Amino acid sequence: MEIPLLKIEDFLIVSFQTELSDDEIDKLREDILDKIKETNARGLIIDITALKIVDSFMARSLSSIATTATLLGAKTVVVGMQPAVALTLVELGLRIKWNIQTALNLERGINLLREALKSEKDVVYE
Amino acid sequence: MSEDKLPVKNESDIIFVRSFGRNLAANAGFGIVDQCRITTAISELARNAVVHGGGGSVTIKTIQNDKKGIEIICSDEGPGIVNLELALKGGYSTVGGLGIGLSGAKRLMDEFQITSGAGKGTTVIIRKWLK
Amino acid sequence: MTEKEEFVEELSGLLEDNATELKKQWVKEMTEMGLLEKLSPLEIEQQSTAIYDTCVLTIKTGMYEAAKKYAREMAKKGVLEAMTVDQIIMGMLKLRDVYGRFIFYKYQKDVEKLYKVLGVYEPLANRILSIVALAFVEEREMKITEQQQAMLTLSTPVLQIRDQILVLPLIGTIDSARAAQIVEQLLNSIVDTQASVVIIDITGVPIIDTAVANHLIKTIQAAKMLGADTIITGISPANAQTLVTLGVDLSMMTTRGSLRSGVKLADEMLKLVVVEKR
Repeated sequence: MEIPLLKIEDFLIVSFQTELSDDEIDKLREDILDKIKETNARGLIIDITALKIVDSFMARSLSSIATTATLLGAKTVVVGMQPAVALTLVELGLRIKWNIQTALNLERGINLLREALKSEKDVVYE
Repeated sequence: MSEDKLPVKNESDIIFVRSFGRNLAANAGFGIVDQCRITTAISELARNAVVHGGGGSVTIKTIQNDKKGIEIICSDEGPGIVNLELALKGGYSTVGGLGIGLSGAKRLMDEFQITSGAGKGTTVIIRKWLK
Repeated sequence: MTEKEEFVEELSGLLEDNATELKKQWVKEMTEMGLLEKLSPLEIEQQSTAIYDTCVLTIKTGMYEAAKKYAREMAKKGVLEAMTVDQIIMGMLKLRDVYGRFIFYKYQKDVEKLYKVLGVYEPLANRILSIVALAFVEEREMKITEQQQAMLTLSTPVLQIRDQILVLPLIGTIDSARAAQIVEQLLNSIVDTQASVVIIDITGVPIIDTAVANHLIKTIQAAKMLGADTIITGISPANAQTLVTLGVDLSMMTTRGSLRSGVKLADEMLKLVVVEKR
């Protein structure tokens, strides 16, 4: 199943539309990472607006995609979490390492990334 | 009251049983957040059965005493869990997070029962009641 | 047929044959006690018949489950709606008395048989009458709970005071059920209004217990997942002590003394996210 990766300016956007299996997520991770390298994307936005359920497996998957993307130089934001999902994840327990930046929607996600990138420009590495 | 025994042997089975569970929960009158909790708990147990139990089966049905509720029984004939207490504390660090799934399902539901032993397979029963 | 079954058949036959008389007696006594004040004559006629017939039928057939179900349905349709719970119970007890006295009257000449019939009648009557009374009472309680739930939903005000700021003023003692419901509503509001900051003011909450404290923490965490920050305002010294004692991780809570200072903080937080207009 093809999951579209959109490029907006220097950000990549991927929308999780349906339930994904283990293999599909692995493939998606590869595709995303390839695309980040290919386009030099500075940010990755994962849109989970359509996901009615995020279990511990999906949470781990999102976390690993985010971590790897960051290593490749693209800051990651997850947007569009449904309220029921947010509450369930919290109740599921904090042992799921949820260290991903989140934003309410696409627009906020983009703003967040912009801010993060802007503040980075001010830091000078010797 | 409807009852169905469904196989969980692979990923697409997991996706199927949680859809099934969600529909049953919705029809029983559970709200959106409870539907999410129930579906997620089913997903956790089903995945454990597939990943750690060598495949298993799930029964999802509505139940009734003085209130209406939903009951899910997930069982596999896998290697079983040697240290239940540790597993429930989320202490298992095996790949795939067996402990997280179990303790998570426990937290999301009203009732949780587990029977397991080395080489004896695992059966988990969870229930949620309408308030 | 056993002796018991014979008596049951004989008894239910008698109660059926004398239905008009006995019903009249029953209604008369209930009226004297003032139980039927709120019912119209038509309602009294219809509803007393329905219940009387159900009881006799159940005595005859022993089908208690069916009686329970039927009573539930009657209650749902509004039978006895105008009577209070204790009026309903008194009414059912009256029916038992009317039946009982009738049995005495019928078998007064044959004391041995009288005792036997009573021996069969009493447990039967008690069971049936309590099933019927309970069905009405339970249905009544369910209606009240439903109404309460509806009221709860209406009475949880989430206020949008600025474009991206929500305020949730909590008042009174909050039980676990209400807390869970408030959490859901708040999270939905965050998404609906696209809020970035939520201020939960607990000035009006005298006591926080473990359950409520946990709901509070859950709310903060879930809101964060949705991309909104939470500020808790108005924690009293007593509640602060409770939270510390409960081992709540205060480092993850942003707090301010008053709602006003909470709003001020929220404004400042929002200024940090600059949205360039294109």
